[in-house]
Amino acid sequence: MTLRQINALPDNAKKRIYRALLPPGLLTQFSIDPITWKGPNGDPHALLKAEPETGGVNIWVRKAADSPDEFFCLQLADNAFNGIDLNFLLLNDPDSPRFRTDYDEEGNPTLFGTARRNLVEEERAMRAGLAPAQVRTSLGASRLVLQHLEAFLASLGHRAYFLEPLTYVSAWVFERRGLAYVRGHKLMDTIHTEFQPGGRLHQALDGSTPFRQPDPWRTVRGRAWAIHDGILEVIDAKWDKLRMVKQIGRHAGVETFPDAIY
Amino acid sequence: MSNKHQMTRAAELESLPVFRDLIDAACKHHPGIDEQIRYDLKLAVEEACTNIIAHGYADMNPGSIILTLELEPQQVVMTITDFGHPFEPSEPPAPDVAAGLDDRPTGGFGLFFIYQTMDEVGYDTTEDGNRLTLIKRLPSAEEE
Repeated sequence: MTLRQINALPDNAKKRIYRALLPPGLLTQFSIDPITWKGPNGDPHALLKAEPETGGVNIWVRKAADSPDEFFCLQLADNAFNGIDLNFLLLNDPDSPRFRTDYDEEGNPTLFGTARRNLVEEERAMRAGLAPAQVRTSLGASRLVLQHLEAFLASLGHRAYFLEPLTYVSAWVFERRGLAYVRGHKLMDTIHTEFQPGGRLHQALDGSTPFRQPDPWRTVRGRAWAIHDGILEVIDAKWDKLRMVKQIGRHAGVETFPDAIY
Repeated sequence: MSNKHQMTRAAELESLPVFRDLIDAACKHHPGIDEQIRYDLKLAVEEACTNIIAHGYADMNPGSIILTLELEPQQVVMTITDFGHPFEPSEPPAPDVAAGLDDRPTGGFGLFFIYQTMDEVGYDTTEDGNRLTLIKRLPSAEEE
């Protein structure tokens, strides 16, 4: 069954189906009713967008109706091969400090640092332990959310879903959640090799920017910040065109950074 | 009783020795799998993976190859999954080894070896990847 077919259903039926994407425990943790998606005051906290004649669904959830941003965001879409793409997944701890890495100093959106960068905020975020593209600390719920996603897709008769990891950290997390690579497995192996002492990426950690300090090659986040800073140019590579796949019910067991420290 | 092993590696030639090692380690203590069968299993996997590397992931940053081995009392089932371009290894005609070197087509031995060494070869492409299934029957205890 495609998302387009679900989106053609009446609103109530759609919501009943898509409700399965939101783990009830995640909502009740923030006093949000898992059925009505309303808070204690009756205000709606979650928003579902699944327009008829489209093959996509977006769900946003905020801690409070007037919160400045959502702590949960999920975007799914039918793809051209009768499969499902997980286009976006955001899981933020809404109570953690916010870093303005999503806007540059002129107030333009950075698109998670892919179009523009706010270097001052990025450095603050990095020192606070965040990964590239994060504006807050992670909620630590990706395992739970992806389990629900898998159960949801299995109920629709799908055997896999696909995604493009935004950062090195994302790819590493998704490896741990059981995904394999459609494209980019070799690149991930190369990155690991070249970050070892003597490798070209290791040598390029020359302290020339705050994101290329000598030590962070040892950690997933440290490598991710250096990659976000463009260090892959020394191996003539770019962080793009990576694509991952999750086979429903299977764990691929990929580990491109053995014994990694986050 | 089934004895299942799985390994996922990048689709590159450097992964082939790792797959061979997995087959060796998994089969070493299995009754009924002698050195010749182990050789056949490794040869078939190596040829199949070489095809995936050369054709399935051609012109793209290579993705993964997932090798699973199921060791059963009567047979070994090997499944090789990839996510590249589908490449169905249909049974080729036997290479003409009598022909002169200049008259022989390049390649073609790999698929021939797979079909010669395995008892069953299956292939399907679905939403969750391209799956090549190779089955090698084991000699029964009576035959040994």
